[in-house]
Amino acid sequence: MAATPATNPSQLLPLELVDKCIGSRIHIVMKNDKEIVGTLLGFDDFVSILRNLLLSVSLFPQGRRITKLDQILLNGNNITMLIPGGEGPEV
Amino acid sequence: SLAQVNPGIKRRDDRVQSQANLKVCTIFSFQDRNQDRNKDGEKKKKESIFDLSKYIDKQIRVKFQGGREASGVLKGFDPLLNLVLDSTIEYLRDPDDQFKLTEDTRQLGLVVCRGTSVVLICPQDGMEAIPNPFIQQQDG
Repeated sequence: MAATPATNPSQLLPLELVDKCIGSRIHIVMKNDKEIVGTLLGFDDFVSILRNLLLSVSLFPQGRRITKLDQILLNGNNITMLIPGGEGPEV
Repeated sequence: SLAQVNPGIKRRDDRVQSQANLKVCTIFSFQDRNQDRNKDGEKKKKESIFDLSKYIDKQIRVKFQGGREASGVLKGFDPLLNLVLDSTIEYLRDPDDQFKLTEDTRQLGLVVCRGTSVVLICPQDGMEAIPNPFIQQQDG
């Protein structure tokens, strides 16, 4: 890059922000109409995410379906946004 | 024959070992491939064609694969195009709407956007909606 992160130390690196969120609540928005809320246990280079105690909310035009899941490994392929401390859609 | 290459070989075991050494040398020469290097012979550096640092602390609009749109203040990025957006507003699409800006928005706050699903980045005030130029005018 013309201005690499090394020359611009005041900015916030995205993966740093996710790293700070480990152990606390996170809300993940997928490419399709699914969202997941829970506690972040860890992540890897491809941002596959290990999460605990979560709700998976599928949003449909008619309504929504909420599924409770225990511990999951979420594939990073379909992740669009990660929101630290997120509440999720109105529960 | 092998005796000509290595006149020191007299025993059969030496000959077998020498042949093995020759084979190993041949394999290693194929490792160095030109396509991994520039013309000067240096390793290729990963360069971005777009400098995002000029958008830091500015309001930008981001479009994602799957049809989601969001806008927020760019706080950080990396070469893989992961973004950190602050005060993020997500614009949602319904099946029956083309694009309703004021409705179907929700506040998300501080957000990390995955670079693998980003398809477009532009300044928030760099876009405006115009009437559809492709509709053919029907004159009576």
